[in-house]
Amino acid sequence: MARLVDLAVSAVLLAGLYATMAYGLGLIYGVLRVVNLAHGGVIMAGAYLGWVLYGWVGLDPYLSIPIVVGVTFLLGMGLYRGLVRHLPRGPAGGPASLLLLFGVWLVLRNAAYLLFTGNDQSIRTAYSTRAISLFGTWVDASRLAVLAIAVVTPLLLHAILWRTHLGRAIRAVAQNADSCTLVGIDVERIYTITFGMGTALAGLAGLLSATIFSFNPGFGSGELLKSFVVVVLGGLGSVLGTGVAALILAVVEVFAILVLPSYLTAAVGFVMLVLVLVVRPGGLFGQRVLG
Amino acid sequence: MRALLGARAAIAFAVVVAALALLPVVLDLSPYDRNLLTLAFLMIAGSLAWNWMGGYLGQVSFGHAAMFGIGGFVAARLMMEPSPMPPLLAWLLGGVAAGVFSLGAHPTLRLRGPYFSIATIGVGEASRLVFTWWEDFTGGASGLSLPIDIALKARLYWWALGLAALVVIASFLLRRSAFGLQLLAIKADVDAAADVGVNATFSQDVVMVLSGAVVGLTGALYASFFAFIEPSDMFGFDRSIAFVLMSVIGGVGTILGPALGAIVFVLLRQFLLASYPQLYLGLYGVLLILIILFEPLGLTGLGLRALRAWQRRRPHGGAPRTVAAP
Repeated sequence: MARLVDLAVSAVLLAGLYATMAYGLGLIYGVLRVVNLAHGGVIMAGAYLGWVLYGWVGLDPYLSIPIVVGVTFLLGMGLYRGLVRHLPRGPAGGPASLLLLFGVWLVLRNAAYLLFTGNDQSIRTAYSTRAISLFGTWVDASRLAVLAIAVVTPLLLHAILWRTHLGRAIRAVAQNADSCTLVGIDVERIYTITFGMGTALAGLAGLLSATIFSFNPGFGSGELLKSFVVVVLGGLGSVLGTGVAALILAVVEVFAILVLPSYLTAAVGFVMLVLVLVVRPGGLFGQRVLG
Repeated sequence: MRALLGARAAIAFAVVVAALALLPVVLDLSPYDRNLLTLAFLMIAGSLAWNWMGGYLGQVSFGHAAMFGIGGFVAARLMMEPSPMPPLLAWLLGGVAAGVFSLGAHPTLRLRGPYFSIATIGVGEASRLVFTWWEDFTGGASGLSLPIDIALKARLYWWALGLAALVVIASFLLRRSAFGLQLLAIKADVDAAADVGVNATFSQDVVMVLSGAVVGLTGALYASFFAFIEPSDMFGFDRSIAFVLMSVIGGVGTILGPALGAIVFVLLRQFLLASYPQLYLGLYGVLLILIILFEPLGLTGLGLRALRAWQRRRPHGGAPRTVAAP
């Protein structure tokens, strides 16, 4: 029983991280109709950025959040202005944007190998090993902090999308970009900002992951696929849907330990990805993701 | 004219294959060159088979390593003790196993575009994990050693050349056939294709099984060629990427393209791994970005451009062209 509680708690903590990863992917897809295959690369980049700031400057990973978010935001805007803007989009756009962003991922991975070698790294702070007693089980303080940030982030995102002028413009562009041009919205500017926001969310997710897991330049491929599971399962444009989907994925993954050899638990996410795409491409909530 | 061009191309193709077949007999090729050529033939076959899915059908697969690995490991197991099969039979059965396995991915065919691609990443990575875990079959992380004698290894040059030649011919026939046209129709618009009577599901299944079987056969020959295989290499994501890269570099959807791309890929890989192993991935990334941005048809597109530029410069009908439209 105590083991079940342990697993349930760690599933909830993991779900927060998965949700944060998925928002970035979902936002970019929802507005630009581009599957950002560089998402995993940016998650990896966010992790290394936090690691560098902590190791070289001594900045606490939680204090470096604004810097990591800012840098990856600029990176995303640059990627859009420099590359993605020039491509056809949507399901009819073919594999072009997919392959291009995949190329970006390869470059990011290679850059990380060159700068930091292929060794596993992790951010170890003085409080990394601190644990807090909760529901009769011990919970890592850093996991709890990650969960807190992962709960605040979507609320913030929701507020931006629904309460600000910019958010209204983003939602309008997602619905119909042509009409937006007619009423004077600078669609390209909205695309640029959205791509930046989506990328910044990936960077944030990477930084948060780095405080819990170890990582190397190959980090992020599993995270990309998990984000995709959550986006498809949760549907677009639904903060609640994303949260529930992230929770489902985390619960399935964590409880798979009970029935599968530990080596195979990593495959659970991949199998779920295929099943979700094939069986339930419309997601559980919100809009149908499949064009 | 087209028939003439076809006949000319067929003769040129036959000459090239014959020359390549005679090459090790006439020239005293070093083992290094011979191995490089064998590898290039294998990759030509694999890349063209990938292109049936990715180019003709427009379904970009990031998971073909699964078929490559299954073909390789099934053939390897069949060639090992206690009852070793003749190599040719083992290779063929490896290909069949891979074809059957790819039929298992049938449900993913209802997905199009990026969704299909993402699903294939899932299939590929799940296969990698499962087969690495399944030590009784694949030897797990330590892999399998095959009992390959020197004579067979030397003959593999011609087997690989034969496979590549057959796949080139098959690609040509597929492209020219009514079935090939149906595939292009599915690529352009699956619903419209269904409206004019194309059985999209069946056609896609056929192509997927063929593509999987040939890639499996390639994997089977590859396993014999290296005489040692391990799941993390055979099923690895990098292997899946290689199939994508070869076709994209050469020119997706063409016949010459993926073949050319495979040769460039093998040579470039050899050169990079020897001289700049730290730039290996990034260079492919940059190449991918440049090709998608500037020349979606890859090397084939560049070649066509050069050809057009040359034709424009050549004086037409005796009189030099002086009029240049603005």
